Amino acid sequence: MPGVESPLLLDSVTWDGGIELIRQSPPVGAASFSITFLAPAGWGQEPAAQGGRSRLLSALLTSGAGTWNRAELARRLDALGATLHSDVSPENLSVTLWGPEAHRDRLIPLLTESILRPRFEPLELARVRRELTERQMRELRQPASRAEKELFHRIFSRGHPLRETGFGSPASLARVDRAALRRELATRVHSRGSRFIATTRLSAEEVSRRLSRALGDVLEADLPPPPEIPPRTRGSETPQRVELPGNSQSEIRLGGPSLVRSDPEYPAAYLANEVLGGRSLLSRLFQRIRERRGLAYHTGSELASGLWDGCWVVEAGTAPAQSGRVLSLLHQEIRQLGKGTLGRAELHRIRESALGSIELELEDTASAHGLAVEVAESALPLQHWTEWPAQLRAVSPAAVSSASLRALDLEFASSVIAGPK
Amino acid sequence: MAGPSSTSVQAHNGGVHVEQLRLGNGLTALLAPMPGAPTASVWVWYRVGSKNEWPGMTGASHWVEHMLFNGSPKYPKGAMDRAIMGVGGYLNAFTDVDFTAYLSTVPASYVTLPLDIEADRMSRATMNQSEVHRERKVVLSEREGAENWPEFRAEEELWALAYRRHPYRWDPLGYPEDIRALDAPRLAEYYRRFYGPRNALLVVSGRFDRVAIARFIRSRFSRVPATGEDPTVREVEPVQTGARQTDMTGPGTTPFLATGWAGPSVTEPTAAHAMLLDVLLGGETRLFSTSSWGSRGDHPSSRLYRRLVATGLAVRASSAFGPRVHPGLFTIHAQCAAGVPLGKLEAALDRELERFAHDGPTRLELDEVREKIEQSTRLAYEGATRAAFRLGYFHTLAGAGLEDRLLRQVRRIRPEAVREAARAIFHPARRVTVRYTPQGS
Repeated sequence: MPGVESPLLLDSVTWDGGIELIRQSPPVGAASFSITFLAPAGWGQEPAAQGGRSRLLSALLTSGAGTWNRAELARRLDALGATLHSDVSPENLSVTLWGPEAHRDRLIPLLTESILRPRFEPLELARVRRELTERQMRELRQPASRAEKELFHRIFSRGHPLRETGFGSPASLARVDRAALRRELATRVHSRGSRFIATTRLSAEEVSRRLSRALGDVLEADLPPPPEIPPRTRGSETPQRVELPGNSQSEIRLGGPSLVRSDPEYPAAYLANEVLGGRSLLSRLFQRIRERRGLAYHTGSELASGLWDGCWVVEAGTAPAQSGRVLSLLHQEIRQLGKGTLGRAELHRIRESALGSIELELEDTASAHGLAVEVAESALPLQHWTEWPAQLRAVSPAAVSSASLRALDLEFASSVIAGPK
Repeated sequence: MAGPSSTSVQAHNGGVHVEQLRLGNGLTALLAPMPGAPTASVWVWYRVGSKNEWPGMTGASHWVEHMLFNGSPKYPKGAMDRAIMGVGGYLNAFTDVDFTAYLSTVPASYVTLPLDIEADRMSRATMNQSEVHRERKVVLSEREGAENWPEFRAEEELWALAYRRHPYRWDPLGYPEDIRALDAPRLAEYYRRFYGPRNALLVVSGRFDRVAIARFIRSRFSRVPATGEDPTVREVEPVQTGARQTDMTGPGTTPFLATGWAGPSVTEPTAAHAMLLDVLLGGETRLFSTSSWGSRGDHPSSRLYRRLVATGLAVRASSAFGPRVHPGLFTIHAQCAAGVPLGKLEAALDRELERFAHDGPTRLELDEVREKIEQSTRLAYEGATRAAFRLGYFHTLAGAGLEDRLLRQVRRIRPEAVREAARAIFHPARRVTVRYTPQGS
């Protein structure tokens, strides 16, 4: 019976046209629902000449649809206590509807209209271009975003889907016109590779009926083939320094290519990242850089394993005079992890922390929905969240060290320090 | 040893039933059981924030917030993190001008763990010299990181411009000069003076046995000495009699404007008017929504968006009025689109504010905003963490019933009253303005 199951148990139905809908029960007591539309239309495959196209498209999908302009769409959402927001990554573009379950049937058409009939009004296109132009400037002038942008340019060669950050340049943004957006909509958004993820008390069949009734067989374009991944290039020990005068703090980014999500070593790599800097207060970076030495307020690491390729990034913000020392400590911590320094007690603590934190995601619909979206984005099996604990518990300290050598490989790593001199 | 304790049952808050517990040492606890919830959230709110600091001591509340993670008798340094995170929990804290809040959310079966920690560090946190010195570097680093954002620099300047006497004039992060000079004994003295059950509100929400948790709270917190000096601030900001402005430059993208006007305190009758004005102009429902302080994105139907963003003058425009213990600041921020001069944006903003103060909102506009607030509040208590935040926030600012009172007022306010509030707030002589121009633009 829908509505009383654990949100960790997912089920799905596939429409006649091959579109999959993944369904999740909302947390106990939750009065909200959420539906995400996920399309293989991220910026990883957009040509450099049209850089920014996916971000433009993503913003315009929530900027008016059918007979409603942007303000009218917003009014309708406000009146029903709902939000509609879009997001974009190298691999995917998503549109997420969230609101009271009591208004679900009045809200679903706002999502389907936005996907089917975005208006792409010239004034809205101009507005989003202006916003993205400012974001481009911010990316170049703000130390944290500049360091990250430069890092991706250093570790991924031209043509790699993870090389760019999707903002494009003023010239490339200007080239993206309504016709280009409509083509992108027809070929990659309205494609068979798109999926829906719903967190609702409705059954998968019931929600599927509501969506397919509105969408019909529009989602019929062939799934675009995955991009070719260029071979990795050797990294450099010497950091790239980007001088950004007038700022107070230097931002350090160290990273490199990593494993894909389907890699058999992913659970061990996941734990390696958690030990290093992913599990905030418990991590080695936090404990040794901040808590022991007081060298940085923020430091941590991220492992982003996608369908096509992965990357890892270690970060810290510190006073300019000590940036060299902190970067050297970041290198040292990664090397230490690969040398088998992880004990059973530390691994146990990190693992139980990671597993326990899943329960926290079940507090409200929006957080629980994130777990279901992750399954769709990473093409994981529906039973992923029930199998994940056993997968993590099977990982030994030696396996974590071994995986760290592949997942956090310093041979292909580079670093950037951006900030004042 | 503290005296006896008492309990009473409060009205509903967003559908969450709340029981109030009062211990003999002055501690107030709110218990909000949410049967079936997977988690429990424990918050301690101290009515101590940067408003309680003074020149030379700025940043002390925030620094104390950091120090409370550096150990207490039962939980030495690192033990709190290991205990809470080891069961999958989350812990954090934040410092505001009016209060400091410590929070932990854990899988429901571990609810006593954060309670034990909070009781232990309420008045017995470790403040040794070496840890204070090391943490000094961390709080300075946090401040330097904030300074990398032009918006932080302008906001800090705006409040410094608006307040000449009241402690709201400095940011909770404090001045770097004070952070460098403040020593461990003075920081410890500040902690001993203000932190204790008399100034604290404990909030527990989520899945737990009400009777057992009330017993546990009594057993742990009744042992805490009845400390905590009255944190009431006596300084009153004199009425501003002329516009103040400053020009700033620094790193950044396009020019932007930060403006502010003196607003009411949360206990003044016009606080609800100012909050409604904020939603009409900027669109954020803030405390009437699930996102509380965070942004829910653009608000294309709001006044500022329609006049400044949709017209191509700005890339973003927002207003903010957060209820505060003392008269706060109503602010408007707007950032130029590339190539738009700051003066042109400012003139457009001025025209819109004049129009609004002259005409007020239309009835339809006001009805839409009221409906938006009503709808936003429907889901505002979803999840134990969010529920504990809301209960604690409103109670800490002005005691029980504040949220219901504000909502009742919002429902009754007429368009003319909003117009009058706009005229009173957006008085030219009470305006402060920071014009930020990026280097080289």
